[in-house]
Amino acid sequence: MKTLGIAATGMLAQQTNVDVIANNIANANTTGFKSGRAAFQDLIYQTMQREGALTSEDGTARPVGTDIGLGVQAAGVVRLNSQGGLLQTENPLHMAIEGRGFFVLNRPDGSQAYTRDGGFQLSSEGQLVSLSGYEVEPAIVVPQNTRNIEINQEGLVMAYIENDPDPVELGQLTLATFLNEAGMKPIGDNLLEATTASGEATEVSPGDPGIGAVRQGYLENSNVNIIQQITDLISAQRAYEMNSKAIETADQMMSTVNQIK
Amino acid sequence: MGNTSYVSLSLASALERSLDATAHNLSNASTAGYKAFRPVFETVESDAESASGNTISYVRDGGSYVDATQGAMMPTGNPLDLAISGNAWFGFEAGEGQTAYGRNGRLVVDVEGRLTTTAGNAILDASGAPIVLPGEVGQNIQIAPDGTITSADGSVLGRVGLFDVDYETLMHPIGQGLYISPLGAEAALPAENAKVSQGFVETSNVQPVIEMTRLIDIQRAYENSLKLLGEEDDLTRQAVQRLGRVG
Repeated sequence: MKTLGIAATGMLAQQTNVDVIANNIANANTTGFKSGRAAFQDLIYQTMQREGALTSEDGTARPVGTDIGLGVQAAGVVRLNSQGGLLQTENPLHMAIEGRGFFVLNRPDGSQAYTRDGGFQLSSEGQLVSLSGYEVEPAIVVPQNTRNIEINQEGLVMAYIENDPDPVELGQLTLATFLNEAGMKPIGDNLLEATTASGEATEVSPGDPGIGAVRQGYLENSNVNIIQQITDLISAQRAYEMNSKAIETADQMMSTVNQIK
Repeated sequence: MGNTSYVSLSLASALERSLDATAHNLSNASTAGYKAFRPVFETVESDAESASGNTISYVRDGGSYVDATQGAMMPTGNPLDLAISGNAWFGFEAGEGQTAYGRNGRLVVDVEGRLTTTAGNAILDASGAPIVLPGEVGQNIQIAPDGTITSADGSVLGRVGLFDVDYETLMHPIGQGLYISPLGAEAALPAENAKVSQGFVETSNVQPVIEMTRLIDIQRAYENSLKLLGEEDDLTRQAVQRLGRVG
């Protein structure tokens, strides 16, 4: 009887499922968060009788084999890269990307990380940084005595300084895109890393064809659909219970065996 | 032991197989595109062993088949999730030039731009070639009901193949949601009476109520078969005791 092991893989898979759902719900209000979904696949099959085995000398063959499936496995967590809602904050340093692309941040160790969270602040030197203090790439330094900052949809950052009616250009924001965005690795702090699966980052400008536009004064909300998460949670719990019933049945059957004599 | 013991033993082992299959189905209740798997039993008749000439029937595993009924369509909003409604299969590259079929259309774009499953098997177009998306398109694609993939500016990038598989219930599962077509079956043809829905996933077609009922059935039948075994044992013991007294 392989049922104990098979049903255990099912319970394990549902645990992964619930973990992913819990993480989604916990991040329902996290800026730029993309909801994940656990994907499952059936495990390998153990072949007891091969289909096509001869059943007579005349060449008649068994049309079906006897295969025993060995359960289920988690095949990965797929991120849903759809657009999150835009939340107006009126903070001039807040930006949301409407469409494709990621902001690029320089981490202290010199490597780069990518994020959809455009809730930026200024460092003590006036440089544009993320909430974790990582510098936005390319560097934008806001001079002192800046009255107002204007960022257009193409990512051009302009500052109005003191009483000067004409703005000063501070720099041009760039975004990064990837061939396989689902292959990027989430590392916490709203950051993602490039991996061999995602491919190298391509530097693009906001507003290019197929690339998102920058919206100043907005933040991108998470794209978690709470109703969907709750229904998924219900079905995950029921599936977990069903697998435990299979274990219970196998257990009772083995106990019946022990009582024959 | 007499015939009765062996008959009930054959039933008990068949039921154990049946339980394994049911547990496998239950464990895949959340696997997208999964098709329930069912064992078939057959009778093995024997009349040589019976003194009275009555035939005795034993049970044996005859094989297993794929229940190809449609699963439910679950909306996900992911542009790379595809579900088939109707009688057709997606084709996938399964290594060594082999083509496998499956209904799990939860796709990702790999680093070479190919549309693949989460396990990395490339989905095939009608001619059997992998579908490669240009880098600048990303996930911004539209997939028509006939499988045609277009980018936002309207240019056609390829077409997802839909295959008709002969004798689909006899397909051989190889895991990861993939099946290979049965031996001797005709090559799969492009299917006509099926359509693709973008942003949907076909859920597992395992019906929890049926599987749970099966669990109960299997358990009770198992108890019966073992009870028979116990009673045969009792009979033999009584016979030995009584005949012992007579002697």
